[in-house]
Amino acid sequence: MIDKLRFVSLAGCAAILMAGCGSTVIMEMPTIPEPRMQKIPVDVAVRIPAEFQNFVHVEEVLGKDTWTIDLGRSNAVFFTDLFSHMFEAVVILGPDDDPRDYQFDALIEPQIDGFEFSTPSQSQSEAFAVWIRYRMSVFDSVGNRASSWTVNAYGKSQKEGLGGGDSLKRAAVLAMRDAAALIIMQMERVTNIRDLANGPLDPASQDPTLMQAGAEQDDEQPASVIGIFAIGGIDDAAQ
Amino acid sequence: MRHSSILVVLLGLSLSGCVTSRVEDARENVTGLNDGESVVIMAKSYHQGNETESDYLSCIEKALGSGAKGIRVVPRQKFVDQLFPWFEPRTAPADTKGLPGLMTRPGVADAVKDMGVRYIVWLDGDTERVAEGGSLSCAAGPGGGGCFGFAWWQNDADYEAAVWDLDGNESAGTVSADVSGTSFLPALVIPIPLIARTQTRACKGLAQQLRAFIVQ
Repeated sequence: MIDKLRFVSLAGCAAILMAGCGSTVIMEMPTIPEPRMQKIPVDVAVRIPAEFQNFVHVEEVLGKDTWTIDLGRSNAVFFTDLFSHMFEAVVILGPDDDPRDYQFDALIEPQIDGFEFSTPSQSQSEAFAVWIRYRMSVFDSVGNRASSWTVNAYGKSQKEGLGGGDSLKRAAVLAMRDAAALIIMQMERVTNIRDLANGPLDPASQDPTLMQAGAEQDDEQPASVIGIFAIGGIDDAAQ
Repeated sequence: MRHSSILVVLLGLSLSGCVTSRVEDARENVTGLNDGESVVIMAKSYHQGNETESDYLSCIEKALGSGAKGIRVVPRQKFVDQLFPWFEPRTAPADTKGLPGLMTRPGVADAVKDMGVRYIVWLDGDTERVAEGGSLSCAAGPGGGGCFGFAWWQNDADYEAAVWDLDGNESAGTVSADVSGTSFLPALVIPIPLIARTQTRACKGLAQQLRAFIVQ
């Protein structure tokens, strides 16, 4: 009986010590306000890849805690809301949906290319900061890549409370809102998505310098991906 | 014995660190606030290197809105959400030159009118520890514990509020508060903190001056 008690108390101490070495931040569902903008007259499909839908970032801050940031479905919900506000008609495709089964002018596929954060101890400040690098791939209705646009978003929130989890969460939400603001302001100009309402691209006439100021073209992506839907979907081909 | 204890407590409460403050304004245009008009308190963007604390913003909001002469203050998050995405840290106008263009965006002028916002107050600045010194050590044992030593620190609170009048889309002027406070912590067994509430003083001073500046 004494051994059992000793084991339980040791296990309890170990659990407390281990808990002290890691922080887990689970994002709640952020809401996006309805933007003050005119809707873009394009029927779009938004394809949410599985890794976008279940994004988890784990990082060990040197000599300190291990942080686990579980964005969960927050990104998927956030971007679904965003595009619903931005475009006339939006259909959401899951990772297993076949785009050929749907009618649309353009298909948008958001991805997370990078996630970074800094804690107050790293930045020698009183704030948590989050950087999220999104990639917005835009395809026409038959699968030609119209654009691959990198959106660099940043959020910063002052440390409040002991753990800092809430502050990091707030910084992540601010970064997501930053991305949303950039997308609202620049997407039409950078990706020329409005042109896709007139029909699919002519692969021969595609301009490799589609990207404009403030945007980055992903060189690894082919400018045209004919038949991409037929070979298992955009998600596979974009990797 | 009981009286002396109360005296010690009262003395402790009445003691605080030294604070010096300077609050001033620079007016560019005539101001005033009509019935139904309100103000919104915003922090200058962190993209421009600003680090104004959110609790300072809340303090100014509360101080402006409270009391018999309180003025209507629209919560900043409501204002930012209602005008999304035009007042996000990256997109907010940096000066009044951008206001006329912003007001022509779909729904922006109507949202501002619905909320009754006449003035946007942009806060810039923060409270920083600029000096500290002394030493203090504490020890505890089976027979008890205590502290011995003396420590001090100095905080500077520098804030500036730029007031934009949305009636004419122009700058109305600025109000600034420069407060310096030194706190002391002497300890002879029991530490006696003499805290200078620098940020609170900067909040009250700036809010009072802002109210007078806007209402005239």
